[in-house]
Amino acid sequence: MAKMSRREFLQYLALGVGGVSLSQLFASCGREKETIFPTATRKPVKISPTDTRKIPDTAQPQIGTNTADLVEEVETSTSEVRPKPTGTPQGSPDLVVARGGEPEEIVRLAFSALGGMEQYVSKGADVIIKPNICHAYYTYEYATTTNPWVVGGLVKLCLEAGAGRVRVMDYPFGGTPEQAYGKTGIQEQVQAAGGEMAFMPGFKYVSKEIPDGRDIRSVEIFDDILTADVLIDVPIAKHHSLAGLTLGMKNLLGVIKNRAAMHRNLGQRLADLSSLAYPTLTVVDAVRMLMDHGPTGGNLDDVKQMDTVIISTDIVAADSYAATLFGRQPRDLGFIAAGEDMGLGTSSLDELRIEQVNASA
Amino acid sequence: MAHNSTKQTYQAWRPSGAWITVRKAVQYLALVIFILFFVLSRQRSVNGDILNIPMRLDPLLTIAHLFSNRIFLVGSALSLLTLLLTLVFGRAWCGWLCPLGTVLDLISLDRWRVPDANPPRESWRSVKYYLLLTILFAALLGNLTLLIFDPLTILYRTLSASIWPALDQIVTALERALYQVPFLSNTVVSFDTWVRPVILPTEPVYNRNALVFAVVFLGIITLNLAAPRFWCRYLCPLGGLLGLFSKVALVRREVIEGCKGCQLCTQVCPTGTINPDLDYSSDSSECTMCLDCLEACPRGGVAFKARMGRSAWREYDPGRRHAIATLGTAAAGVALLRSLPEFTREPPHLLRPPGAQGNDFLSKCVRCGECVRVCPSNALQPAQLEYGSDGVWSPAIVPRLGYCDYSCRACGQICPVEAIPALTLEDKRLQVIGKAYIDKNRCIAWGDNQECIVCEEMCPIPDKAIRLEEKQITSGGSTVQIQLPYVERDLCIGCGICENKCPVNGEAAIRVYIPGDAGLPF
Repeated sequence: MAKMSRREFLQYLALGVGGVSLSQLFASCGREKETIFPTATRKPVKISPTDTRKIPDTAQPQIGTNTADLVEEVETSTSEVRPKPTGTPQGSPDLVVARGGEPEEIVRLAFSALGGMEQYVSKGADVIIKPNICHAYYTYEYATTTNPWVVGGLVKLCLEAGAGRVRVMDYPFGGTPEQAYGKTGIQEQVQAAGGEMAFMPGFKYVSKEIPDGRDIRSVEIFDDILTADVLIDVPIAKHHSLAGLTLGMKNLLGVIKNRAAMHRNLGQRLADLSSLAYPTLTVVDAVRMLMDHGPTGGNLDDVKQMDTVIISTDIVAADSYAATLFGRQPRDLGFIAAGEDMGLGTSSLDELRIEQVNASA
Repeated sequence: MAHNSTKQTYQAWRPSGAWITVRKAVQYLALVIFILFFVLSRQRSVNGDILNIPMRLDPLLTIAHLFSNRIFLVGSALSLLTLLLTLVFGRAWCGWLCPLGTVLDLISLDRWRVPDANPPRESWRSVKYYLLLTILFAALLGNLTLLIFDPLTILYRTLSASIWPALDQIVTALERALYQVPFLSNTVVSFDTWVRPVILPTEPVYNRNALVFAVVFLGIITLNLAAPRFWCRYLCPLGGLLGLFSKVALVRREVIEGCKGCQLCTQVCPTGTINPDLDYSSDSSECTMCLDCLEACPRGGVAFKARMGRSAWREYDPGRRHAIATLGTAAAGVALLRSLPEFTREPPHLLRPPGAQGNDFLSKCVRCGECVRVCPSNALQPAQLEYGSDGVWSPAIVPRLGYCDYSCRACGQICPVEAIPALTLEDKRLQVIGKAYIDKNRCIAWGDNQECIVCEEMCPIPDKAIRLEEKQITSGGSTVQIQLPYVERDLCIGCGICENKCPVNGEAAIRVYIPGDAGLPF
């Protein structure tokens, strides 16, 4: 190949740099300017009459997403927001609590009581499972990260229902993702089940409006969380000093970049985030619960073996039931009260159809 | 005999031949392996003992460390191989293995060099010997500051602080731009999964000395404009060390009967050591065994033969007077450094890697920068002047930039001289790096009376070194119940994750300070 002259080289370089800059310019036109959270001082959350509206039963079983045409009461106005699930199919319970046996067994038991994963995962669906992989400090026995077999079980169920792709992801606050994926044991189980561990690279975070946000109006969130067909939120039930407990709504913090700012007026901000990234299913891992010194843990004395899994399409209900396992009143937790008041779900457990199933063994 | 007037026109034409091909192949392979070890050092699965092999091959680091500590580490025995190589083949390390030398050959700037300009004076070759002797004498006095001039550490530091992070910035910017293009986004994602975390980091790397190291590195390369391999000829202390050993090297360049005085060898020699005034002989302590002259000579007048005996001592070689002068300089320099305030009052935020706190850390650390590279959370940064001039470019933890991860012990595993001890994870978690103190004026909970307990949330100690007390605060007419953090200092290990994650901008409201009471060991 003939040697390029200096002029030609400079011309190519200018072309390349110009092209990249131009594309950046176009890209930024479409992207909203990232708004830093408003300097909200601690506003008391308005207490409105408790929303007793039930999640509507719909006639046909709802499969997958794109429920826009089937739903009457969803308040989200743009298609940028994850659609709020319309509840479980007719005849199915609103919330399932499964107990006993090995973690994967418990999950399967729960789903058969719920009506099967096929109700939520259609053939070829793009599924994202969002467990709690908050750090790389300890192995799963310390109940600081989601039980690997619960995650593995969910991966298997999704694939059996015909999912096209099942990705598992989180971004830890302590340690690197690659360390944490391995140390928690989740990577091993997910890959054995046929799923893939995915990283959350910086360039895929996009600034999104939260149309129903009462405290925060926009946030930088991982792109795929909003575009996936199915989002399964799998927190592990833990004590948390600020939130009280970290459950489904708190677990969603893993999908946004700027978490420090979320810790002001935490309850309302978690509700706002949940309104944007409402998961298709909330699966609370209470196989082991961390009763104290959360969310980092480290004391086996703080771990309580419960062998329980709670599943619901209603994130507020799932968190409310999990709160009772700690002996807490659901509405005592700020995020549950804020979520219910925004219409994201209900904390009144006695108004829900709850099915409790136990493994026979 | 001095030959300041040697006019050497180092032409853009480089000789070719079988030997040169072999040498270049070995050079490139060595450079690729060096870079590969650098890239792999962020992987947790590869053994630190393997990844620090390039540093342990360096006899300058080993000998300086030996002088400073009076103990010979088993791991340092690798550098004996380099010395053995030098005793047999002279400065073959410089010509065949040294990664910085290879970079200087690749970016030789031949085309930009003024063709007929006189090269620098021969007497400049003694600078590297002065530097070497100063390093060794200072090391005998316990000071290793000047090891920042070691070529391997220069290249490693530049790669880890400047080149790789800048490369990451470019790639990330391209990814961000191209991701917006609809038909390219899948390609970008696949590319990204392939490249991270193995080759590029998952988070951007920030290093306080990114610019300084880049400038130093570019400076060394720019010196090639004055003469090829300027650094190797006149400045490199490792070259000086190997040069001294090469005085008694076995295999040396010789001029034999075929020589007709055409001066081709003089022109192609990268170190400019072939002297027409001395019958085209070369100094074995300057010759890097590149074999260019062998391939360039049209008449077979050059040979490399095995000979016993000592090479002639040249003018620029260190003599007794030079040695005494540098000893004086080293002593004066070390004494001057000891007069700085850091020797009586430690800087408040001087945080060393876990297990490395202590006065003799600086007499062990060889400033290689491997720990800074390997730290997965950006906590380790090169110290600058604020921690003491003698600690320049030694590692320090800067919590605002990165925390010491509770599940990591990588720095101890990679340190080639065990200045940072290789500890088990359990032992590493017991090491006290510092102690955290809350600044109640800036703290959101204490100062603004609003809920925030991010520091407590992040504290990795199982029993939590940061605790919360519930208090009723009346301010502005209303009473609120808030949680106020306080540090249980006996439990705190100073990992810095509290300072790192504190949502207060600028200086954090909780900061890690150097451990211990004044006058009492910690």
